[in-house]
Amino acid sequence: MEFLTPLVGLYAAAAAVPLLLLLYFLKLKRHEAIVSSTLLWKRAVRDLQVNAPFQRLRRNLLLLLQLLALAAILLALAGPVLDLQRGPGRRYVLLIDRSASMNATDVAPTRLDAAKTQAKAFVASMRSGSTLSWRDRSDHAMVIAFDQRAGVVCSFTSDKRQLAARIDEIEPGDSVSRLGEAVTVARAFAQSSSAEANGKSGEKPAQLVLFSDGRIADLEGVLVGPDELVFHRIGESQDNVGITAMDARRSYEQPQEVEVFASLANFGTEPVTRDVQLAVGGNVHAVRSVTIPGCEAEAGDDPFRPGQATVSFSLSHGEAGVLEVRQLGRDALACDDAAWSVLDPPRRLSVLLVTQGNAVLESALKACPIARLDPCTPAGFDALDPTVFAARQQYDVIVLDNHVPAHLPQCRYLVFGAPPGGIDVNSPGEVENQLIVDWRSQHPVLQYVNMTNLVAARSHRLVLPRDAEVLAEFNESPAVALLRRYGSTYLIAGFDILQSNWPFEPSFVLFCYNALGFLGTEAGDGRRHALAVGEPITIENASGETTFTVVCPDGAEVEMQADPSGVVRFPGTYRVGVYTARPPEGPPQFYAVNLLEPQESRIEPKDRIELAGVAVTAQEQGVQRANVPLWPLLTLAALALVCIEWLAYNLKSRI
Amino acid sequence: MPTTKPTTRKLTDLLDPKFMARLDSLDLLSRKILQGKLQGERRSKRRGQSVEFADHRPYVVGDDLRFVDWNIYGRLEHLFLKLFLEEQDLTVHVLVDTSASMGFGEPAKGLFAKRLAAALGYVSLANNNRLTISLFGDGICAQLPNMRGRNYLPQMAEMLLSTEFDGLSDFEKACRAATASRIGCGVTIVVSDFLFKQGYEAALRRLIGARYDLYVIQVLSPQEISPELTGDLKLLDIEDADTAEITVSAALIKYYKRNLAAWCDELRNFCTNRGAVYVQANSADSVESLVLNYLRRIHLLR
Repeated sequence: MEFLTPLVGLYAAAAAVPLLLLLYFLKLKRHEAIVSSTLLWKRAVRDLQVNAPFQRLRRNLLLLLQLLALAAILLALAGPVLDLQRGPGRRYVLLIDRSASMNATDVAPTRLDAAKTQAKAFVASMRSGSTLSWRDRSDHAMVIAFDQRAGVVCSFTSDKRQLAARIDEIEPGDSVSRLGEAVTVARAFAQSSSAEANGKSGEKPAQLVLFSDGRIADLEGVLVGPDELVFHRIGESQDNVGITAMDARRSYEQPQEVEVFASLANFGTEPVTRDVQLAVGGNVHAVRSVTIPGCEAEAGDDPFRPGQATVSFSLSHGEAGVLEVRQLGRDALACDDAAWSVLDPPRRLSVLLVTQGNAVLESALKACPIARLDPCTPAGFDALDPTVFAARQQYDVIVLDNHVPAHLPQCRYLVFGAPPGGIDVNSPGEVENQLIVDWRSQHPVLQYVNMTNLVAARSHRLVLPRDAEVLAEFNESPAVALLRRYGSTYLIAGFDILQSNWPFEPSFVLFCYNALGFLGTEAGDGRRHALAVGEPITIENASGETTFTVVCPDGAEVEMQADPSGVVRFPGTYRVGVYTARPPEGPPQFYAVNLLEPQESRIEPKDRIELAGVAVTAQEQGVQRANVPLWPLLTLAALALVCIEWLAYNLKSRI
Repeated sequence: MPTTKPTTRKLTDLLDPKFMARLDSLDLLSRKILQGKLQGERRSKRRGQSVEFADHRPYVVGDDLRFVDWNIYGRLEHLFLKLFLEEQDLTVHVLVDTSASMGFGEPAKGLFAKRLAAALGYVSLANNNRLTISLFGDGICAQLPNMRGRNYLPQMAEMLLSTEFDGLSDFEKACRAATASRIGCGVTIVVSDFLFKQGYEAALRRLIGARYDLYVIQVLSPQEISPELTGDLKLLDIEDADTAEITVSAALIKYYKRNLAAWCDELRNFCTNRGAVYVQANSADSVESLVLNYLRRIHLLR
């Protein structure tokens, strides 16, 4: 037997026992009664005291019973538990999954709450060290909550109250779950403890206890020993419909027009029909009904395929705004029922053309729907201060015609001829008489561009880094490539157009049109406003003193100060929804944080998780208490003793 | 007698007329037939002038020649004297305790004692016995000495009814006074609860003598015989305000009853050993049944 709260019992005993005894020593207030003579009564009292030596004890029977009842209550306060386990104390690491799928409500109230309840039951059944025991046989546990990242909620302790309180503090998250980091952290903590014994102790390694639905992204990469991990499966249902993709784009030609695409997946076996709603800035714009077929279960080599359906909306919206696509059916998981996109206001591009003079290029660019085209000489471009240039953000696209600039301010570049330096693109020489052998006609830049007849008399030989995207290839060198470096985007055509027949081809104008359109969509802040869960909100070019107020989807407000380099980072995007960053002056900026993870939307709990080399089957039963709390019995005993005391008092005074 | 009428009525407050009618047929009896002062209606051991023949004895010089049985002298020529049983009067002394403790009880012991005394007094006066009624507490409080005949009934009733139960008790002092004033021979009846802290032995020893039958009637109330007390109490003595703190328990009640029984047994043994008769009465019982049944059975009344 052990006591959960021995100190509470001791303190209460220290207060209550002397009080009870004091009450007994207090003079009794007696009622007066008149009798004909006290003669016989005095004799009777004397006889009682003299003739019955046990009468003293008998007189104190009430006190004895009261002391017993009090002792029972005090013991109950000390929280004794009868331990049904044997052997030395063990160490446990409780791994609690708090990823998006754990927010499913198929287990009331949520899977995470069920996991927390089970974890607390596990903690309650641990053996705790008693201050009264002479050797420490207590179990220790630490708690790690993990989604994409693992966080130590409570390090190794045997304090059950602390463990339970910390487990209660675990907040749900909306990101994917990855176990690897959690296991690494657990091992690090577990080993640091056993290292004290010089690694020679006979202590068993810490037992990992996983509370999860088994939907973990990196199971194959997690290495655990046999019997090292115990898996408690949380969750029952697999029925869920989620939005797995969503995007909203303005038409390049008609910037007022917005196309919204969303992809929905049904993870249940039955086909479902759901209403999908598009809202702009909180106002419902359209509702579509979509039927999504049921999923295809795993069969042999065929992997699981959810039922898929896409829905698209077009709307005319000439302002900035937040678009929300939401499926209106109710299902177990709420965080994948909606997706958001931040729409920038439509705008036409400003283009800076850096050239010694290229009428062909200039006229081709002028044909495109742009706001303005400013020609500039290479010398004039080099004379500009790059920091001032970047800060002003005057131009959306800079076209470099056969010029290698000294500075590269952060911008989008369309490069013809020699590639600029400092972006990991080398040009070791030139090649001659090049023909296009292949091009990616599906890429937005080369859409409808027929490059079959393109011949270049001379071209720079391009040696590209690995992450560069080659869009078209000459027979000896890449012809057109796309590269992103240091916040800038470079679309590089490695040859002088005047050294080729491209100006005479219709594909040249189309290329310019596509290229400006592509770089123009990159130009806006749209990319940076769509974030995945857990990805930080980054606001650049803020002055050092600026304080941003970030409003989370749940209404909480967080003040963020820009660092000396003028960047504000808000890492707390743990839940899906629209985050609003309010600068002290100017309009607020919106950030859409979306789940869009089929892995998490598939909420079917796994009975068996396949770790690297080891398959772990879920425990058949939920966590049961392995010890019996004795306080209810003691409370009952106290009640019975009080009743007996009452009876004894009455028997004594009645007869 | 205009003044006696209301007092006569008062005797009926104590005794029921039917009861009185039944008492008329009774007489007090003494086991010792003793010499009285007046010639009474009672046989005495002393041979004397009477109508009832007892025995003969030889004549000696100096005997009264009036009692010589001349018929025997005619036949036997010897002088024999005829001896007659002399009938004498009986002195009845009733001592009633009027201390505060007799006022205790429901019904009160005092009322019982008064009615018992009235009944015994009635029987005595009705039979022309010499009756003395003494009320005692701390000594003799009131006394009606040497009453004889029904004429004294109103006086007796007046005294009994006007008595209040109050004050301490000093039994020995009362007995000393009672024996000092006692004359003749007869019956002494003491009615009390006998809960005397200083004891009753010395006092009773004074009352027990060769010429008097002693009847000790102990009256106890139901509250004394089986007390109905509960809880933690401070008992207050009704006479001397003595206190006793008790916590009533089954054991305590048991010891109380045991002590009461022992006290009564002691008194009974004391009386029996000395030729006195002990009677215990419960104030809840009827005086009628005690007088008509029990006292007749023990031959106090006939």
